[in-house]
Amino acid sequence: MNFKVGIDIGGTFTDIIAVSEKGNAFVHKILSTSHDPSIGFVDGLYKISDTVGIDFDKFIKSIDTIVHGTTVATNALLTLQGAKTALITTRGFRDALEMRRGIREEQYNNHYRNVIPLVPRYLRFTVDERIDSEGNILSKPDKKQLLPIIKKIEAEKVEAIAICFMNSYKNSINEKIAVEYLRSQLPRIFTIASFEVLPSIRFYERVSTTVVSAFVGPIVSNYLDNLNSKLRDLKYNGSLLIMQSNGGVVTPEIVKHNPAVTVLSGPAAAPTAGVYYANFLGYNNCITVDMGGTSFDASLVTGNNCATSSEGIINRYRIALPSLDIITIGAGGGSIGWINDGGLLQVGPQSAGSNPGPVCYQKNGNEPTCTDSDLILGYLNKDFFAGGKLKLSYSLAEKSIENKLASKLGLSVIETAAGMYRIINSNMAQGVRQISVERGYDPREFLFIVAGGAGSIHAGEICKELEIPLFIVPNVASIFCAAGMLLGNLKHDYIRSYFTSFEQIDKIKFQSLFKEMKKEGFESLTVHEGVHESKVSFQPELDMRYIGQYHEVQLKVSMDDIDNFNLENIFNAFHKEHNRQFGYSLQDEKTPMELINLRLRVIGETVKPKFSFRSEKTVMLEDAIKGYRSIYIPEEKKMKKVPIYDGDKPLTGSTIKGPCVIEKITTSVFLSNLYNCLVDQFGSFIVYNKSSFPNGYLLK
Amino acid sequence: MKPGHIDKILISIFQRTFRSITDEMSISLTKTTRSPILCEAKDFVTGLYDSEGQMLEQTENLPILSFSLGPVCKVIIDQYCNDIHEGDVIIHNDVFTMGNQNNDVAIFKPIFHNNQLIGWSAAKGHQADIGGAVQGGYNPNATEVWQEAIRIPAVKLYERGILRKDVWNLIFANIRLQMVQEDIKAQIGACTLGERRLKALVERYGIEVFNTHKNALFDSTEKMMRAEIRNIPNGVYEGKSTVYYDGKNIGSKFQIKAKISVKGENIKFDFSGSARQTKGFVNGTYTSSCSAITLTFLQIVNPDIPHNEGMIRPLEYIVPEGTILNASFPAATTFGNHLCPQIADSIFKALGNAIPEKVTAGWNHLLCSLFTGTHQRTGRKYVDICFLGMKGGSGAIMGNDGYDHIGMIDASGGVLDQDYEMFEQQTPHLLLQHEYLCDSGGAGEWRGGLGTVTEILLRGNDTTMVVFGDGDVEPTYGLFGGKGSVLNKIELRFPQKHKGRKYLIPLSKDIVSDIPDGTVYYQIAGGGGGYGNPKKRNRKKVMQDVQNGVVSENCAKKVYGLKSY
Repeated sequence: MNFKVGIDIGGTFTDIIAVSEKGNAFVHKILSTSHDPSIGFVDGLYKISDTVGIDFDKFIKSIDTIVHGTTVATNALLTLQGAKTALITTRGFRDALEMRRGIREEQYNNHYRNVIPLVPRYLRFTVDERIDSEGNILSKPDKKQLLPIIKKIEAEKVEAIAICFMNSYKNSINEKIAVEYLRSQLPRIFTIASFEVLPSIRFYERVSTTVVSAFVGPIVSNYLDNLNSKLRDLKYNGSLLIMQSNGGVVTPEIVKHNPAVTVLSGPAAAPTAGVYYANFLGYNNCITVDMGGTSFDASLVTGNNCATSSEGIINRYRIALPSLDIITIGAGGGSIGWINDGGLLQVGPQSAGSNPGPVCYQKNGNEPTCTDSDLILGYLNKDFFAGGKLKLSYSLAEKSIENKLASKLGLSVIETAAGMYRIINSNMAQGVRQISVERGYDPREFLFIVAGGAGSIHAGEICKELEIPLFIVPNVASIFCAAGMLLGNLKHDYIRSYFTSFEQIDKIKFQSLFKEMKKEGFESLTVHEGVHESKVSFQPELDMRYIGQYHEVQLKVSMDDIDNFNLENIFNAFHKEHNRQFGYSLQDEKTPMELINLRLRVIGETVKPKFSFRSEKTVMLEDAIKGYRSIYIPEEKKMKKVPIYDGDKPLTGSTIKGPCVIEKITTSVFLSNLYNCLVDQFGSFIVYNKSSFPNGYLLK
Repeated sequence: MKPGHIDKILISIFQRTFRSITDEMSISLTKTTRSPILCEAKDFVTGLYDSEGQMLEQTENLPILSFSLGPVCKVIIDQYCNDIHEGDVIIHNDVFTMGNQNNDVAIFKPIFHNNQLIGWSAAKGHQADIGGAVQGGYNPNATEVWQEAIRIPAVKLYERGILRKDVWNLIFANIRLQMVQEDIKAQIGACTLGERRLKALVERYGIEVFNTHKNALFDSTEKMMRAEIRNIPNGVYEGKSTVYYDGKNIGSKFQIKAKISVKGENIKFDFSGSARQTKGFVNGTYTSSCSAITLTFLQIVNPDIPHNEGMIRPLEYIVPEGTILNASFPAATTFGNHLCPQIADSIFKALGNAIPEKVTAGWNHLLCSLFTGTHQRTGRKYVDICFLGMKGGSGAIMGNDGYDHIGMIDASGGVLDQDYEMFEQQTPHLLLQHEYLCDSGGAGEWRGGLGTVTEILLRGNDTTMVVFGDGDVEPTYGLFGGKGSVLNKIELRFPQKHKGRKYLIPLSKDIVSDIPDGTVYYQIAGGGGGYGNPKKRNRKKVMQDVQNGVVSENCAKKVYGLKSY
């Protein structure tokens, strides 16, 4: 029997999922080994072979693909533990990286400091070379200039070099000269040029992205080499694929050429998994949310396409590579409740994280958190948190909320906890609004999918605020990302800048730029990644705007329109998209448009597992009741005794009525008076608003 | 909910919701406007106000225009009284009815619930042109408002949802660029977003709950602000600064004088001692000056205080008419926003006596150019404010160095440089240099933020440059033993002798036209002042600055007293 394995290594947990050919899925969760994540990786493989119940040597031989999500690059950026990096740039522009176009994010805070540049000024070197805005060569870099820089780089024991020259998106010849020479002289140093990372207009975006890639490059390369050799030692013969920020997967060799593609990959698998669940219920559109310990991530999928954006920022560092459009706000189980100087209750963005964590964890935390209020309100079971592995202290949580908040507000502990619950729900609803309404989408038309442990306690209230009638808690909610990774395709993104007015687009140039990108992607997939030609597809996009605007619309177009040079279709599609996003178009005014960038996503379809969590037998709903507990009912503003269901019992086909709590080892679901829940054949919970579905929810 | 009952939690939720509404309005404007002054530099503000014009929340990308929206809203309410209807859109820029600057044009939209006025949404942005004698609005030769701009007192662009085409045409017949019409449409769009969302909020909670809770929010915010003021020792504190050159009389200078009285929970900013108004356009308006006072004081207090009416209630302003900070009708005033650096200096200097740990040393004063001309390749006209060149450093504060290359204090890092490659696409010019300037950060235990040096090769045969600003006479000051910084400077270096000269240093308010193709524009934006004795600066930091080439070895030895490396 063959298996596919997904291993998602996050900051706290390593999630492993193995899926057999028949679609049987096995999951396991262990603590991450942050000093060397590859230890947890191998350990996870052993643990999952136990869970599957097959001898390890036999198991490893039966795996054909391992898909791996890693936060190695992300952590290097968050902790600034990347490589000692140098930058070589055009004379006159030594400081663009550090200046960040002169922004100070907190305008009224005179103690707010700039970020520490990933390359300190003394390692930022300039050379006399210049390409103008039309791509003409004004001067070329020569070796005489590069030699003293090379000496300095050697003397300073630099580990990585980024090269970014002005207007190289128009003409990369000067960067090529420099990068080839440096690689020949310093073969051991990780060197990367901006045209290899992001050949598109906007110098600051490009220099920042290239530097990030260099900064994380050596660490990511070493990690992947280490992992490969460990897998060889285990006699693993299958393939290893790495999760990227754009939601696709890629071979380790390609990651090593542009390591920045993994920087925002953490939550990138969630939307992919979301599409899978949505399709099953007959939806093409969904919003996935993931509420973790410190943050709340929300992303949006339309027409089975996960939305991508090039506006990524991490730790205030700019990464302009296409990544899944994920909104992250500071709202999680560890978010701290506090009272501002005006006497108003606030929750977050500060978080107690997992260490010391919420007060009720009894790990010396003393700031009241969202998890503490969820416990006080009865949504969490003090004896059954993580299946009972972690005992929660009700009295510590109560004391802390009383002393730090309730006494100052003049409210009871329950009222205060309910207040925290409302505030954090309202904050999360604003996050969902950002990803939907502010992008021109109506969240009510989307299936709302809730992953992550704490999310399903809060989802009902978020949905109420946004008038979303239905949400899903998937069976494998807590390892949603690991499952999503197995559903990802190989994806490569290419970009070429072509700055011209729409009327003056040159057919030959336009098509040859696309051909160039097509060829590059096709070769990468078929020659290096073993994808069959028939499984390769292309998604072209154009960055366009009305002449005079500064911000582009990233417009999806069809490959046919590119190949047939059907500009009229593109023209119409642009006006339509502008109208959708911003509420107006200027088609009637005949306002001219211009083209900025051509983008091509090249996709190699992977073989997907078929999941089957199908329950063989079901129990009667009454038999799933574990007991009764008092919980807080938002509609009634009071505590009320409700049934507690064992969600790990096979309940397929049952309708569970709110108010109640459904407890699983990995998560708890809270249904208020407004909701009922249908358990589908996968054991997922379909929670629906009774008033929107007066006759109950029927599976299609 | 019982009438009059206050749900404390709901106050917090209202506050967050108001903010998310003004943020959403702001994002919409960034994405839809044309002028780089709006969409790249974000020289605009969005806000929500209650039915009396009291501020509910604002998103202040450029604070100097922000604190005039509330006062204008009150003017509109007075003017139209019972003639305000759903679907009305009101436009305004008039500086003699609470506008802050002619170019800063505001759109207001009344918001109704069950036929009752419940609030206003507003967006104000700096327009690329506003009529008057000079494209772009900065006319150093102006002596009266009509030479600067078309005056737009509050007037309805839409009445009950119907466009008043005649009014629209009248206004835009007086403005040069078509783009301004598009940008005003974008502002109306942003106000519609704000209208929809505030309406939805009131529909959900009812007008009673809305009113009691927004008032409670004001009260809570006022309490926060008063607590901050209580932390300042009682007393009367004075500070002075100087404005140089009014655009008319070379060598002229004008004093700004702040007298700040703190008594318990109240603070009064009295600028009565400031100079009389000038003959040129270097004059403040009442609201531009009050905005400058407010935004400076906000840098001294807790940055978490929400921005609503409660925040400004404890602040008292005295800015008499006829002074340089509040010029009488019909004075020219376009430069008024840029008196903010001097106002800030005088406040920081005054309060430095009371709360030395909370004020910064001097910030670099704005000196800025605006280019107009034709792009040869596209044949299109362009207007470009050279944000790239103008951004100097901020003053240091106890415990922290100043912020490098942040620019004018009126924006405090809210306004961005053009991207280099976009600049070269949008204008015909070639950028030669844009870097930190060594030794430009005022020396101190805490070093002033770095200034910059910018060089641009100007292309094209019809380039005109308008210069406006200051900081080329008196350098930025240091505090408590900290040193000042270098002067601002602009210089045009001609390819060959032009009108008998090899180079030209324009005045701080000036127009230079017909700049020859191939001229090099050179600009220094100075740094911020240092704080505390430079000899006390952490030696490691001094050595780092030398290693990074932002402090010279010579300066490290002489000024910082560094003995060895």
